[in-house]
Amino acid sequence: MALIECRKLTRSYQKGSTTITPLNGLDLDIEEGSFTALMGPSGSGKTTLLNLVAGIDSPTSGTLTVGGVQLDRLSHAQLAHWRADNVGYIFQLYNLIPVLTAYENVELPLLLHELTATERHRKVAAALELVGIADRHDHYPRQLSGGQEQRVAIARAIVSDPKIIVADEPTGDLDRAAAAEILTLLRAINHDLGRTLIMVTHDPKTTKYAQRTLHLDKGKLLEVEPAREPSSAVHR
Amino acid sequence: MQILRFLPLVMKYVTRYRGRSLLTVGGVATAMFLFYSVQAMYQGVKEATHATSADTRLVVYRQDRYCPYSSNLPQDYANRIAAIEGVKTVVPVKVAVNNCRTSLDVVTFRGVPVDAVEKGAFGHVKIINGSLEDWKRRSDAALLGDRLAARRGLKVGDRVDLAGITIYIAGIIHSPEAQDQAVAYGHLDFVQRASDNKVGIVTQFNVTVAAPDQMNRVAKVIDAEFRDAAEPTATWPEKTFVARAASDIVEIVGFARWLGWACVAGVFALVFNAIVLSVQDRVRDHAIMQTLGYSESLIAKLIIGESLVLSLSGALIGLVAAAVVTSWANFSFSVEGLSIHVRATVGSVGVGLALSLLTGIIAGLVPAWQASRHDIAACFRAA
Repeated sequence: MALIECRKLTRSYQKGSTTITPLNGLDLDIEEGSFTALMGPSGSGKTTLLNLVAGIDSPTSGTLTVGGVQLDRLSHAQLAHWRADNVGYIFQLYNLIPVLTAYENVELPLLLHELTATERHRKVAAALELVGIADRHDHYPRQLSGGQEQRVAIARAIVSDPKIIVADEPTGDLDRAAAAEILTLLRAINHDLGRTLIMVTHDPKTTKYAQRTLHLDKGKLLEVEPAREPSSAVHR
Repeated sequence: MQILRFLPLVMKYVTRYRGRSLLTVGGVATAMFLFYSVQAMYQGVKEATHATSADTRLVVYRQDRYCPYSSNLPQDYANRIAAIEGVKTVVPVKVAVNNCRTSLDVVTFRGVPVDAVEKGAFGHVKIINGSLEDWKRRSDAALLGDRLAARRGLKVGDRVDLAGITIYIAGIIHSPEAQDQAVAYGHLDFVQRASDNKVGIVTQFNVTVAAPDQMNRVAKVIDAEFRDAAEPTATWPEKTFVARAASDIVEIVGFARWLGWACVAGVFALVFNAIVLSVQDRVRDHAIMQTLGYSESLIAKLIIGESLVLSLSGALIGLVAAAVVTSWANFSFSVEGLSIHVRATVGSVGVGLALSLLTGIIAGLVPAWQASRHDIAACFRAA
């Protein structure tokens, strides 16, 4: 049984008098522990699919089941609770809270869990260590480079041990060297920690880090590249 | 109290948006300082003018006179008043003031007979420093009300010139009665000679009746006794007398209470404005937090928490500062030798904090509701 099951998944919303349907009757399965890349032109529904899987948006019709939980049946409060337990989200523009330090940004999701301050500290320290940014724990986002900010964002996404990590163009704002480091880190998180990873990308070169690439266009799944071992080549 | 886990987060938001927080807290503190000051004035008016069922003190004044300088009654009226049924004690009082107008620093002398103490007219007064014997022994000695002593920084043994009268301070007294707290009690004949040199003439008689229910009857009998005299009298319960004499102050303080409530409205507007602007600036931050799993209600609670911290911290600073200044300065409004004290009370601090708590919650409600209704995906699309 797949970890994520989409059946006739549709999302549409109003923009003025126009109805926009970024996702239209999508059927898709994603296996637990996989690393999936989502590709497609702007407006193809990649981010919409990502948001639905992450539980920050709800489908207009169809069903979306993640880990046996049918997300389209959950209330807002239940969805929030589910997100806290199951999802880590990595944004293109990092989206760290500017008035919190790297450490405090990573600690933010843990405040939602019944943990002591010591347990929180241990988890935050481990996550920062894993992404190689422990020495910058007391820096504010404005004091970090783009690559460092994204590392903090990744630490924040993994700190509460979620089943799924979604990444919306995580290297879109980085130079090539920093992008390669981030993608290597994401692949390690998928491979070493066994987390299911779904990544939206525009760059075909980044897909080599994933096991499977899905192509979306106009809300439909166009093409599914078969699962493979990700390339170990350095991203250039 | 799961929400307490998020208090450090709220405090980080408050302290790290330093400029906004300082301006808001400063504004709230100023408004609550004013609110407390007005409350303290009102408390003084209430204490000096609101009659209670236990009151037993009457003031006999010259009819149709409103200033100590023009109220001149023969001192020997005392014997006739003392003979009226229901009268417990009679104290002829010569009042001398340095200023007949309204002021924050009027010095009022009250000349009373030395034997008034033995007759029980000062049973409610406690000497907290110095000695009664010392006061009796020296004709220029005075017993100072504790507020006057504190305001002027005077102590037992000092020899000072107050309102043109040089006195020796024999003791400091404390009294629950507002009119005893900011006066200097001297020997009657000494004050008579030192002020206008009218020996045998007093300003008023302070009368204590045997029981509270006899106040009105005794007052009527006294005025009837002197109706046809050369100097007719007008007799009131002491607090009514003060309210009548200080009616201008009472009206001004009544109006000032509206200003106090306007300060509370100002607190609301300040905090509301700060939180609305803050929420508008942090739409993306709240969307990020919701993405991490913060529920809509938790976001709303955090915003209300921030509103409360701003409101309460500002109020605490303003109220404590006002209480300290009021207690330290011992301000009294005085008019025609009567005093209305600006009274610092813990109750007023409590009322101020409760109002701040309420305004903090109400000011945070609308922005919290708005923030919690944002669609997360739409927030990121807009960004």
